[in-house]
This record gives sequence, structure tokens and C-alpha cells, in this order.
Amino acid sequence: MATEQVYEVVKNVIMEVLPDLNPEMISIEKNLKELGANSIDRMEVVTISMEELGIKLPLMSFAQVSNIEGLVKVLSENVGKVELK
Amino acid sequence: MGIVSSIGENISSFCNALMKGESGIRLSTSQKEPKISVNIAAELQNFSFLELLNRFQDVPEEKLVNAKRLGRRAPFAIQASIISALEAWQHAQLFQSKLQSERIGLIVAGQNSTQNFQYDLIQKFRENPEYLSPRYALEFLETNQVGVLSELFGINGEGLVVGGASATGNVGIIKGYQLVHSGFADVCVVVGTIADLSPMDIQGFINIGAMGGKKYINQPEKACRPFDKQHEGFIYGQASACIILESLASASKREAPFLAEIKGGSINLDGNSSSDPNKNGEVKAMLSALNQAGLSASEVDYLNTHGSSSALGDKTEADAICDVFGGHTAALRLNATKGLTGHCLYSAGLVEAIATVIQMRQGFLHPNKNLEEPICNDLKFCGAEAINHRIDIAMSNSFGFGGINTSIVLKRD
Repeated sequence: MATEQVYEVVKNVIMEVLPDLNPEMISIEKNLKELGANSIDRMEVVTISMEELGIKLPLMSFAQVSNIEGLVKVLSENVGKVELK
Repeated sequence: MGIVSSIGENISSFCNALMKGESGIRLSTSQKEPKISVNIAAELQNFSFLELLNRFQDVPEEKLVNAKRLGRRAPFAIQASIISALEAWQHAQLFQSKLQSERIGLIVAGQNSTQNFQYDLIQKFRENPEYLSPRYALEFLETNQVGVLSELFGINGEGLVVGGASATGNVGIIKGYQLVHSGFADVCVVVGTIADLSPMDIQGFINIGAMGGKKYINQPEKACRPFDKQHEGFIYGQASACIILESLASASKREAPFLAEIKGGSINLDGNSSSDPNKNGEVKAMLSALNQAGLSASEVDYLNTHGSSSALGDKTEADAICDVFGGHTAALRLNATKGLTGHCLYSAGLVEAIATVIQMRQGFLHPNKNLEEPICNDLKFCGAEAINHRIDIAMSNSFGFGGINTSIVLKRD
């Protein structure tokens, strides 16, 4: 799956977790914290994104992620390793 | 006071429903599997958190935004508590108050309020445990209610959850009263959580023989019959209800409206792990509450019974009332709110305290629609129509599984 497609999935998940956010505020270099996500919102974005993409990774795999781009990168690298739903 | 129930989504509509004797008991809309043999309940049908939130007027915009943020994706039980607590907070004019947040306490009267929420997650969890929401670790804890409501209202005093089975609401009121009375808080918010039962919980109540709804399976509105010879068990109801307790000094200082005064409240245990009621424990609860209030039984004008429509429960309570009130039963008027709202379990005590205060202030008694053949002719229950009745002193009973007996005494302000 192309990175752009994964980014689209992540954007939709961010909107699901933070429904009051203006979608135009989201850009790939930003981090979730500056979009108003607290620590649990951030973990939820990761969990729901994995579910949407059919990926199962330990949460530690995201420890070094510092922005949305990093998140999309880890997800993209692992998409397709297990069959998509 | 605040409420969201099957017969009213706020205090004003709940009051109108009580006057008219409207019942919220109907066929359940639950589509859950497996199907359960009793399909009758007083549910919050068509509950919409956002719609109810949008109906609030004169609540600061910032509070509504926070309520939306905290509740929108939360379990049903949290959403219902937010709605009832917002109404109570607004009625008590606390949005305008300058009270110290450390002097405000919060008691959540509820237990096992996430049963159905968990039941719905089980299947997905069994397939993919990795995808369980991290929020679940907060949400399955009953104290999530404490966290959410204290964040919403900025409460920094004591906060806790109390449980007492069907007497949970009264236990909450009594602990809140003790907190304020003993000076540990100036204000205490007491919220009764909705009982969001799973099909397994309902089946459990059926199997233990506590739930009715069999004889009147095709006439749901007739199924809940407190103190009627055809009673056969409780009918499940849903409501969240909230009251604000405040010391006289604090309320007078900020010129807040007073609705009623708690004169006494008593909890005792039978020392019994089972579900059977005990007359002596019930008598002791009522006498102890009166004793605390410094009142005699003959001064009580009205009793809101526990009256769950259980054959043994109703009989035991009727006998206990006759013991306590003796020669005064001719003047004492009674009814059973569960006949209209169903048995709201954890919030029942709060729903009934609110029903009691409304009747005291409006001077009426709500009907007991299904009381056609009373099990006891010595007690003066309100009949099929509401009647005018002046109430200065009222009592409200709640009894729970595990031998938990409670009674509170209220005085009209």
C-alpha cells in the first residue's frame, strides 16, 4: 500500500478520535500532541490505524515515532505483512 | 436535581410523567444475542447524548464543549451520568458559584455499570485482542465516572464510588449527606449511574427468580405491579439521576435555591449474602432514620416504598412498614415509583428521592396504575389516579441483595 493511502487512513482515524479538529489542521509533519491529542488519544490513533490496516505490531514499535510522518512510515512498512481485511 | 429516565429526559418532563402516571415500561428494543425470555423493560429508548446536550440552555459554552469531548465516545453509562449531572449542577446554580473546588465532593452511586459495554466488546476481543482500545483500561473501571465528572465540573474534594445493589442510590445519598453534615465538604454531587445490563445479567436475574414480566408478556405496561397480588418480580428500568447536597451555611451564603432537607439516613446489614429480604433489618433502617431525624413515625406524611414488585420483597416491606408505623398507617400515604420507571437498580434510590422531592414540592402523589388488588389493606396506597396530598415529612426506602437495608427521611423546605 502506498504511503499516501496509509496517510489517508491515519487522517481519518485522527478525525474519529478528535472529532472537533478542523481537518485542514492535519499535516504530515505535525505531531498528534500539537493537534490536541492527549496520551490516550495518541495510543488510540495507533490502535485504530493498525486495525484499519490489518496490522498487528507491539506498541513498542512506535516508541521512536515523533510525528504523523513517522507513524505513517512504520505502518506503511508493515502493511501487507499480514493479509489486509 | 437532574434526571434522564424512561419517563422523562429532565426534571420537568419527569414531573409531568409522575403527575399523569405515565409508565416507561414497554417491549425492549434490544437486538442482542442471545434473545432473553423476558423482553420487557423501561429503557432509555432513542437516547442521543448529543441531542440531549444540545437542549441545555444557559450552560457556559466551554462546559458544553467539554461535556461533548468527554462523553461523545464514552460508554452509555457515562453519557447518561453527564446529562443528569449537568442538569443538577445547573439547577443548583453552581455554574455561577465561586465555591472552592476543594470543598466540593463527588459520590458516584453505581456498580457494574459497564457490564453491557464489556459484553459488546467480547466477540471482537476474542478475535483480535490487539485492537482493544487503550481507553478500555479507563472505561471498565467504575471510577471512570469519578474522573469524567470531576474533570467536567472542576471538583477537587473527596470523590468515590459506592455500591449497595438495589439500594446503591440511597447509599450514595447517605454517604453524601454524611460528608456534608460532618463538614468534610460544603457541597456534594451524588450521581446514580444507569444500569446498562447485558443479556447475561438479565438472564441471571431471571434464573434467580427476581425478575417479573412473564404473566403480562403481551401487556408490558401491566407487568410491574408493586404491592398487587399479581406481582411476580421486578421489571428492569434505566435512568441516571443526580442530586446536589449542600450545607445550609453554604447554600444560604450563595443564596442558592433549597428544595428539601435530608433529616436522616440509615444503612444496616442483615448479615446475609443471599437475595432474600428481612423484615427486622428493614424495620431497623426506618426506625434508625427517624431517630436520626428526631421525628416519630406519626410525623411522616408519605412513604416512597422500595416496592420492586417482587412477591416476597413487597410482602416483607409491607409488614415492616406496619410494624414501624403501627396506628399511624391510616394517615400515611404510599406509592411505588418503580411501577412507572421500572427498577433502575443503582440509581433507583436517587430516582425515588427526586420523585419524593417533586411530590413534596408540588403537593401530590403519583398513581400506582397496576395496584388493583393490594396485598395489604392496612396501607393507604395512592390508586390509579394522582391525588393531591400535602407532604411535609417523607421517607424513602431502598433494599438490596446481600441484606442491605436503607431508609432516608426528607423534609420539605
